[in-house]
Amino acid sequence: MKKDISSLHVPHNKHTAACVPVRIATPAEVILPMNMHSGRQDSEPIVSVGDHVKVGQLIAREEGRFSSPVHATISGTVVEIAPMATPDGKGTLAIRIESDGKMEKADTVTPPVITDCQSFLQAVRDSGLVGLGGAAFPVWAKLNEATNPDYKVDTVLINAAECEPYITSDHRMMLAHPDLLADGIEYLRKYMSEALGNATFKICIEKNKADAIELLKKTFENKDYVVIHELKTIYPQGAKQVMLYNATGRVAIAGRRFPSFGAMIINVSSISKMAEYLNTGMPLVERIVTVDGPAVDKPQNLIAPIGTRISELLKITGLKSEPGKVVIGGPMNGNAICSVDDPIVKVSNAVLVFDEKSAMLPEASACINCGRCIEKCPVGISVAEVDRVMNTKNEDAKARRLIATGVRQCVDCGCCSYVCPANRPLLQINWDAKSFLKKYAAAQKEKEGGNQ
Amino acid sequence: MGKLHISPNPHIHQKGSTTQNIMLDVVIAMLPATIAGIVIFGINALWTVLVCVASAVLSEFLFNLCVHKRQTISDLSAVVTGLLLALNLSTAVPLWQCALGSVFAIVVVKCLFGGLGKNIVNPAITARVFMLLTFGAVAAVSLPTVVELTATATPLASLNQGVEVAAAEAPSIMDLFLGLHGGAIGETCALALLIGFAYLVIRRVIKWYVPAAFVGTTFVCYLVYGGFDVVFALQHILAGGLLLGAIFMATDYVTTPTTNKGRVVFCIGAGLLTFAIRQFASYPEGVSIAILTMNLLTPYINDFTKKKTLGGIK
Repeated sequence: MKKDISSLHVPHNKHTAACVPVRIATPAEVILPMNMHSGRQDSEPIVSVGDHVKVGQLIAREEGRFSSPVHATISGTVVEIAPMATPDGKGTLAIRIESDGKMEKADTVTPPVITDCQSFLQAVRDSGLVGLGGAAFPVWAKLNEATNPDYKVDTVLINAAECEPYITSDHRMMLAHPDLLADGIEYLRKYMSEALGNATFKICIEKNKADAIELLKKTFENKDYVVIHELKTIYPQGAKQVMLYNATGRVAIAGRRFPSFGAMIINVSSISKMAEYLNTGMPLVERIVTVDGPAVDKPQNLIAPIGTRISELLKITGLKSEPGKVVIGGPMNGNAICSVDDPIVKVSNAVLVFDEKSAMLPEASACINCGRCIEKCPVGISVAEVDRVMNTKNEDAKARRLIATGVRQCVDCGCCSYVCPANRPLLQINWDAKSFLKKYAAAQKEKEGGNQ
Repeated sequence: MGKLHISPNPHIHQKGSTTQNIMLDVVIAMLPATIAGIVIFGINALWTVLVCVASAVLSEFLFNLCVHKRQTISDLSAVVTGLLLALNLSTAVPLWQCALGSVFAIVVVKCLFGGLGKNIVNPAITARVFMLLTFGAVAAVSLPTVVELTATATPLASLNQGVEVAAAEAPSIMDLFLGLHGGAIGETCALALLIGFAYLVIRRVIKWYVPAAFVGTTFVCYLVYGGFDVVFALQHILAGGLLLGAIFMATDYVTTPTTNKGRVVFCIGAGLLTFAIRQFASYPEGVSIAILTMNLLTPYINDFTKKKTLGGIK
């Protein structure tokens, strides 16, 4: 008997659920980093300082695997191409464009000509679209993978869960543009007919978005290949392994590519934006950002060009108190940034500002073996055991014991850290464990290769 | 604008989920039994409690000072240990022995093994056993000052003399339930202990079926042993330190298995051992040694009650 993975109730704080997104006035400048994708190599600028660019114009080409092209999001002059600090310490280049106030569209912005699957994938690649749910995995690469004849994809899961607190940008996108979602599904069926022609499109959405569910049901009432799958409103419904299990009953085993489970998962905003590009030719230049958090005066959804400084957005919403921490993304999975002058990037679905009091969590103390981390882990990892085992000196014993805890299945939801009474950094300990196991496996392979 | 804090995700934490809050809940849960003990056994019970708790907190404070470790007394775990030890002792134990027991519990059983979370055996129970072996008087039971009692032995001792004798001399079920008989300070009043149990379950500190597994196993053993005499089995459940041990010591996070399945296995084992020691060994009380033994088996119970990870190796 299949049991739903259920885990954690986190306070929703969906204060902006009823806020229709408002387009902000064109900012004076935008800063476009070269690392707005999941691949490790940065994009390469193709413009120079002094060039005049228009909206939708290509200004950086993709370099390396899983990289993405970058387009100008406002019209104006390139004033600087300089290094920018990032919280992980690596840093990246960023192109700064000063607005000329005109927001002129580039001539290259025309609906792409698509004849078959190849040209379809190339068009999606050219749009610079990456997973807008936060993963930043290039969409064309995901679609390309699904065309592999070895994977028999029979279900396309459209991730409309938005399980994190505060964020409502996907929700508002669905309410504003159900037509784009419908277009996106049709495009996939038409141009990837070999891979997805017979697939079921399951729109997986949490029950707390009742208005969106109703609208979607109406939009797709005549399409039997589109199913609206309602999910319990708990965290982390949006994690892809959890969604796969709850929507199809299949178990995502770590180390295998996702389509090998017969399913493809894509964020609802990603597929909608893809349709927008195919309809108009305008690449990814703006997005809906939820601005919320304890320190924000008037939380709201804003439509802003990518590259807008966060301080610009905060001027519109106002601040109730001194910001202590600014997080891009949700409170469970988002990343804290260095300064409010940092820009929003392609995947910035939310900007959360925490006040000084809520910015820092208490220091970690000793594990008391309460077992709440194990209870609340959606995939049943023995997290407390991982914590204990990480101190093992003998590498072989450490690897064996870590594998036995199931830590390789970790979906990075952070439920363990959230519930730990001792405030232990369990999510980071799990990352450590996974990274250790990867290195260990690579070393084992090398040893075996050497022995041959 | 000032500098921004940077820390890894998650950036929010479950409200109220702290070690200190859990310890506070346990202390509150023990308060009904503490008050009942003072009412039944008199003001001496209060001195015992205060001395045990103060010695526990002080010894942890001094130990941390001596080894230059961060002070941990604010997590209230020393208070829990001191109070639990006090509830396990009778008012007949001299206060200096109580203090020494507390020091042993904190310094030897907990701190020397690495502090909170690192001890292998339950500090209160181990200190109790240490005192039993060292001082002997711990076995002496205090008589309640509230109720006149003709029998001088504890219900357990009198019950052990045989089923026929037990029927004549043993206190009634109601007396046993309200705790109006001899015994340790916190173990006699079942009503007070059950109030504490309910509090812990409501506050989600423990799962109701964990202590129930312990008590239930022993109950079933006595049921079978006594020829399916329910009264007989009930008498043996309410007498002695079974409820206190099941609710507060077999549910100690640190020294019992991590998963709920493991905890149930632990409690079933402890239940069986309690019955065996009480009936077939020379001690009238089996709970302490039973829990102590199961503490030592906890790592192995953890191994074979590990949760099955979705998609992990079988």
